[in-house]
Amino acid sequence: MAPDRSSLSRREYVRALVAAGGASALSACLDAVGGGDERSGVDAPPGTDDPDSLPGRQHAWNGALSSDDDGNVQLPAHHVLLALSLHEGPDEDARETTEAALRTLERAYEWSNDGLVFTIGYTPAYFRRYHGSIPDSVDLPEPVALTDRENPTFDEFDAVVHLASDRPEVVLEAEEGLVGDRETVNGVDVETDLGSVFDRLDDRRRTGFVGEGLPADRTDLSGVPDSVPEEAPFFMGFRSGFRESQATEDRVTIEDGPFAGGTTQHVSSMDLQLEVWFEQDNHYQRVSKMFSPEHAEGDLVGSVGERLETTNGLSDERIEATAADARERGVVGHAQKAARAREDGEPLLLRRDFNTGDGDRPGLHFLSIQREIGEFVRVREAMTGADLDVPSANNGILHYIFVNRRGNYLIPPRSLRSLPPADPDSEREPID
Amino acid sequence: MLALAGCQRTDGESGDGSEPDPEDGDDSDDDVMAVPEVVEVEDPPDAVYVPTHREAMRMLEPIAAGDLRLAPMLSYPHPFWVIAGGGGSDDEVQRVDPDDGRGVHMMFTLWDDESGVVLPIDDGTQLRISRDGEQVGQPRSPWPMISQEMGFHFGDNVSLPEDGTYSVEVTIPPVSTRKTGDLAGRLEEGVTATFEFVYDDEFRHEVVGGVEYLDEEDWGRRGALAPMDHGGGMEDGDHGDDMGGDEHGDGHGHVDDGHHDDHADDSHHDDHEGHHHVPYSALPDVEAYPGTLLLESRADDRPEETADLPRSGDAAFLSTVTEPGFRLADGDERYLLVSPRTPYNRVPLADMSMTVTIERDGEVVAEPTLEQILDSEYGLHYGASIADVRADDTVTITIESPPQVARHRGYETAFLEMEPVELTVPEVQ
Repeated sequence: MAPDRSSLSRREYVRALVAAGGASALSACLDAVGGGDERSGVDAPPGTDDPDSLPGRQHAWNGALSSDDDGNVQLPAHHVLLALSLHEGPDEDARETTEAALRTLERAYEWSNDGLVFTIGYTPAYFRRYHGSIPDSVDLPEPVALTDRENPTFDEFDAVVHLASDRPEVVLEAEEGLVGDRETVNGVDVETDLGSVFDRLDDRRRTGFVGEGLPADRTDLSGVPDSVPEEAPFFMGFRSGFRESQATEDRVTIEDGPFAGGTTQHVSSMDLQLEVWFEQDNHYQRVSKMFSPEHAEGDLVGSVGERLETTNGLSDERIEATAADARERGVVGHAQKAARAREDGEPLLLRRDFNTGDGDRPGLHFLSIQREIGEFVRVREAMTGADLDVPSANNGILHYIFVNRRGNYLIPPRSLRSLPPADPDSEREPID
Repeated sequence: MLALAGCQRTDGESGDGSEPDPEDGDDSDDDVMAVPEVVEVEDPPDAVYVPTHREAMRMLEPIAAGDLRLAPMLSYPHPFWVIAGGGGSDDEVQRVDPDDGRGVHMMFTLWDDESGVVLPIDDGTQLRISRDGEQVGQPRSPWPMISQEMGFHFGDNVSLPEDGTYSVEVTIPPVSTRKTGDLAGRLEEGVTATFEFVYDDEFRHEVVGGVEYLDEEDWGRRGALAPMDHGGGMEDGDHGDDMGGDEHGDGHGHVDDGHHDDHADDSHHDDHEGHHHVPYSALPDVEAYPGTLLLESRADDRPEETADLPRSGDAAFLSTVTEPGFRLADGDERYLLVSPRTPYNRVPLADMSMTVTIERDGEVVAEPTLEQILDSEYGLHYGASIADVRADDTVTITIESPPQVARHRGYETAFLEMEPVELTVPEVQ
């Protein structure tokens, strides 16, 4: 359904258009941003004809993305997760078609916030199409429920393309180009698209956004209260993604085996209960539950995290105090708990999550990359904090999040990104 | 002088309000006040106190959820207090006021059908509300709460967009707290149950009109409202009943002074014919506990009932040391059982953290950590196995964090700043 422009701010409107997707949303978006016209499409910085000039890692985004004043990487503002299902078993033709379609995007858009960054990842279900199994150097289990309180459905389609850009019209146009609903992308002819290889699963399509002003901007959504802070970049009201709280791209990269240079991706989707969070808990309680009770007591965060510059302010002492805080203070912080999974002080996950208004409800698509899915599971277990002697409502932010989907993916290195076999070192063909 | 609760009509029309307006028009929701105007106690004591009024609610038919039963109850949205912390900072406790009147205070009591034990703890219960198959609002986790009338329950204020029939799916995860007695090994599966309710003028009449004021002289004095007589006195879920305020007999308005509190037992055992039996979360009284009751001073008489027990933050502390080999102890050890409860209605105080220091002749001989336990016989308590405890030992219970449960009116100023409880062991068995 087309968003109603009259009732929304421009920012709300373009986010709603990204959420809607499709040719008419792109057309409306081009009108709204005024950067191009429908025929010529968007006017974004162009890409490259030399694929070798691009990083060998699909997930090598950080070097191309902009940074904020504190040196934290700024994730692009607009995101689409395009769910894909293969028509039939992968073969060489399909592989070549896929690669050609992806290269079209690279030719069309600069690898940057202003252009487009993207990855394609494959599920365990995809790799089951092959004889033989994925090598031991890749840790890619089937997704499972990770807590007693969730009953998620699982991503069991084949692949997901993550498109991200600061320009809403770019993610929409790139998507339309990929699936063959558009003849040019940023002025580049689309000679090959994914339409002959994959179906786009519209009911699994997910979208979202990151950026200052987000929650205050989305009070049009049911479930987003008017009391959310103006400057907060995330629905929960605080900054996130601090440089020192994120794993480096090296840390999340698979080091050995045929998929060396790749990474694993976990995507979970969840509903957020913001009315209780903002209208019942007070700021002090929110800071206690998001960061740590000491952050609240010392007023270390500021209203939306502005006092935290490049780190979430978790010293080793605060992380180690988690279990004691549970007993002595009756509350522990989300960040504090999750940080317990760090190894040698280093975070394991590189989070590229974003908020969403999909379904006209506030939510989060939690997307993280890490060397092994098992590392994500360990961080999630630390965040769940079942070992902590703390009541559920004061156990970080568990009281406010409701996980409803989980999916695991392998993001192969760029050289293997197009319909990789389960074991590239063997010559086995797919089962079907 | 006082704006008392009532069905104040604002549109000047007559009528009994029982005709819900099918259109959610501008004025129809004002036909009946969605929330009563209530008078609050000014400057209540830092203790359990009697509020100005009893709330009215609609009880729905209890439903099965696996081995559990769940009794939904609905009232008008009203203030409650949420807590995250030690209670040492004012910011750790937050009064929650309903943002607008349209909606309900949704509550339910949850109990194990086999043992009748009310579950006084939360592992992440979730509510999903829908209307005509469409989701209404976001999922939510209701707060674990205590109230004088309801005891321990789960609840939250829930805004409702308009009048209609709503469906509520409740998801209850496995109980992770250590369970003992007949509960050992049970309640390990998550369960789901669904109930429906009608939100309309009639409901608002019932719950707003049903508010009952107490005698003004009782307001704010130390004491508590008697537990609601879940079995008999209240509404039976038949929406056709007229729930006027004063037809329910003498259970209402009764204020407990702590010395005649056998009503809690009544609510356990009374199962009035034709009414839903909903247990109240009262713990057993003093005489039901095994072992030697610890006293504040050797010279003290043994307390006969909960109101006479040592207090901290106005919570009554029942603490006993059992004989060796007691079923909750490790091997041949003794068991220290600490059962903090509300002083009048014996509602268990869940999600506390406490440590214990045992001293003998001025020397610390043990410092066990108390673990929260849910037992089929003694209910929610905190326990530790003790290798060696003797007569005249001093047992000091230090409260690291007070009960992290939300509170209804009359409990919000109690159980916050809790001083250590220093006890002595009069003898050992």
